[in-house]
Amino acid sequence: MHENRIKTTANTVCHLICTKMRTYNEELKFLDKVTQRSWRIKKGFVENMNVEGLFYVNDHLEKLMFDELKQSCNNRGFGGFLPAMKQIGNVAALPGIVVKSIGLPDVHSGYGFAIGNMAAFDMDDPKAVVSPGGVGFDINCGVRLLRTNLDEKDVTPIKEQLCQCLFNHIPVGVGSKGIIPMNAQALEEALEMGMDWSLREGYSWAEDKEHCEEYGRMLQADPSKVSSRAKKRGLPQLGTLGAGNHYAEVQVVDEIFDDYAARKMGIDHTGQVCVMIHSGSRGMGHQVATDALVAMEKAMKRDKINVNDRQLACAHINSQEGQDYLKGMAAAANYAWVNRTSMTFLSRQAFAKIFNTTPDDLDMHVIYDVSHNIAKIEQHFVEGKQKTLLVHRKGSTRAFPPHHPLIPVDYQLTGQPVLIGGTMGTCSYVLTGTDQGMEDTFGTTCHGAGRALSRAKSRRNLDYMDVLHALEDQGISIRVASPKLVMEEAPKSYKNVTDVVNTCHDAGISKKAIKLRPIGVIKG
Amino acid sequence: MNSPYVLGIRDTESVQKFQQRLDSARQIMVVGNGGIATELVYEIENCSVIWAIKDESINNAFVDAAAGKFFLKKLDERKQENKTLKRMKYTVTENTHAKTDDLGGALGPDWSSNLNMCGNQKIIKKVHVEYKVEVEKILTAEELKAACLQPSTSHLDEQSECECNWPIYVVLSNGKIYGCDFLVSATGVIPNTDVLLQGNSFDLAEDGGIKVNSKMQTNIQNVFSAGDVCTASWEIAEHWFQMRLWTQARQMGAYAAKCMIAEEKKMEIPMDFCFELFAHVTKFFNYKVVLLGKYNAQGLGNNYELLLRVEEDEFVKVVLSNNKLQGAILIGETDLEETFENLILNQMDFFFFIFIPVLTACARGFFLWHIIVTFNFFNNFYFYICLHHICIFSMFLPS
Repeated sequence: MHENRIKTTANTVCHLICTKMRTYNEELKFLDKVTQRSWRIKKGFVENMNVEGLFYVNDHLEKLMFDELKQSCNNRGFGGFLPAMKQIGNVAALPGIVVKSIGLPDVHSGYGFAIGNMAAFDMDDPKAVVSPGGVGFDINCGVRLLRTNLDEKDVTPIKEQLCQCLFNHIPVGVGSKGIIPMNAQALEEALEMGMDWSLREGYSWAEDKEHCEEYGRMLQADPSKVSSRAKKRGLPQLGTLGAGNHYAEVQVVDEIFDDYAARKMGIDHTGQVCVMIHSGSRGMGHQVATDALVAMEKAMKRDKINVNDRQLACAHINSQEGQDYLKGMAAAANYAWVNRTSMTFLSRQAFAKIFNTTPDDLDMHVIYDVSHNIAKIEQHFVEGKQKTLLVHRKGSTRAFPPHHPLIPVDYQLTGQPVLIGGTMGTCSYVLTGTDQGMEDTFGTTCHGAGRALSRAKSRRNLDYMDVLHALEDQGISIRVASPKLVMEEAPKSYKNVTDVVNTCHDAGISKKAIKLRPIGVIKG
Repeated sequence: MNSPYVLGIRDTESVQKFQQRLDSARQIMVVGNGGIATELVYEIENCSVIWAIKDESINNAFVDAAAGKFFLKKLDERKQENKTLKRMKYTVTENTHAKTDDLGGALGPDWSSNLNMCGNQKIIKKVHVEYKVEVEKILTAEELKAACLQPSTSHLDEQSECECNWPIYVVLSNGKIYGCDFLVSATGVIPNTDVLLQGNSFDLAEDGGIKVNSKMQTNIQNVFSAGDVCTASWEIAEHWFQMRLWTQARQMGAYAAKCMIAEEKKMEIPMDFCFELFAHVTKFFNYKVVLLGKYNAQGLGNNYELLLRVEEDEFVKVVLSNNKLQGAILIGETDLEETFENLILNQMDFFFFIFIPVLTACARGFFLWHIIVTFNFFNNFYFYICLHHICIFSMFLPS
């Protein structure tokens, strides 16, 4: 077994050295700047590209993207990671992709698809594929924003009690369990019905689902396509926030860019208090994705689908595996909506308790709920013709323009609200969709929730020698090549949310409406 | 050791007694290396502490030597107030007082949160650790004189002026003798089954706990058992093991209640998912500590790799076996716990996602991969350095 491992490794190394070793300057020949805010990736940047790539940047983000590429070239592959630009190129090489593979300004390397990469596949092309890597493991991870009629000055004096009360109501962290009563039968129904289940059980207001993508329910969901292990993982976690970069935040309106849009959302002054909930389908989505990857690896061999990167496991949309995944993914998406709705319910209870009133009197309506990790069947115009496409959005948000039939009545004139959660402790934004976005990016914009801010703090001289000695004492022999290697760092891909949002605004793919700033964070 | 100078910490009552005694203490000795002892050493203020442990590193009941070293640097740090708790706070509702020798309520996770553990002496807290020792005997000042023994010195002595008149002197197995006001014993628990065993015939496990099956049933019909008193005797999941912790007691209690109802109503319920993955979140030295799966490579023999990252305020250790994630210790605000929780449960094979660019000849073969790592999570990948054959790895994590 070890021998095999060595062989495989050696092959990988040879492959990389022989085929992919272009210098940085050679790589640059495949890139050109199209507009002030976007770059084109030409065919040939990676093998087999069916369409071109495109990514959005401003000056600062541009430098990050190119530094990443440069580092990967300088290391001659010996850093091992694929820069986001290469990943965008690999996606452009998938069968059935149309127009282009698009990187939003917050793009960074992920599993298969970069996070912040969107790609659309032609449903009428029998060769077109669906890829779990293009959706992400946390299926329908997303952001929901609730408004209140409270002002910052109402909340500041009792901020700590409010946060403790939210912690008392919302289970956070690993191993936490939901407090919404659930059993196996109820879970089946929730997977099928999404927010209609929440409404029936009394956890949601009737208006809530009007302000969600797909009205909080994907109709093609089929709980029988979800493995029993996935259900078992999901059952205790329903109504829990999770940990890591998931959070609930008490926020205040910091700046209003678009008065009209803000008023339509029920935001009328700076200082108004909102609640943002960022969570997804928990372990359930992970299991659905993991199961699908296993099934698709087999399907790829059978159907002879070739991809540039093994992480891009995929299946023809109309194959059994492809359909099963889409149905299972839809069930996991429904789970995520029920999850966010449960936490909406719990937040309303917590606010009502602290302010000794009802959630109605606090006007705690859902402004909107967006999905970051999802694949949807949508109608778009491609070269003047209407086409049915399977749009993969991973770490990117749908941003439909005004008058689009799929957005709620309340937002018909403003365009769809897009919620951009900042990293914990930084600002968040509400944007609106634009016509230009519909044309350029299939109605897609950034998602903004990058890596946690703690990653960005300066690394002080780390004193690891003591720890090494501790291991040594246990009989583990230790040799460190050079301190320089230990200190080696990857290029920083942390992208400031304001940079990201401004780039989208300048590129015209979405428009800034509101800026929010956090005053209390609930997280695991 | 039934000396008035020895206090046990086992329940709410004994904690109250401890608090009263701490008031006038200048220097105390803490014996034990578990969670309670660790919390105690951190919480105590205005009093010097000698911490006697039987292991080679601190907090050994929970974490390995490397993590112990990480904490060691934090020993003398001042306690920080942390007002918000990330869950419902558990408190004792009845106001019981330590009047009798009756057992009080068990110490919940928040036992130290409302307690003032400040001594009244104007002493800046210092901690001195004695490793690999046990307490041999406790002597009074007179006995010490009679035995012609001299107390040992530690760096704590610089500030205490009156080292000559301690009420007790503790003789340790390494020959050192320390004077202190009293000794706290926090050396762990054994299943307290005595009271239940009289007149009953429960099947007991080797550790003395009552055996329970996957429905929390004992061998006697209609008798269920949960918590520290029982021993899980079902077929244990790959990434779970029993450890007598409050989190597991609570999970077992809740699950046992469900099982009792299911039994009554003749329903079938699946085993709760919390018994699939060991997960414990706690705080030591005011650092968030997350223990996941086989975090100390429990039961993996030598067939595992360690990935490690140590920073000023963060400590991350990952256990890999057969290219799959088996467990992790996360200390500090790493924000990695959900990812790792999911990766352990997914059991995805990482081999194809670990790219090994440089392979130097390696004398010891591939069988023991002990790896030291510094990895960076900006891009979801690690950089780490292998100890035997020096190379940089990088690994993508799914997102």
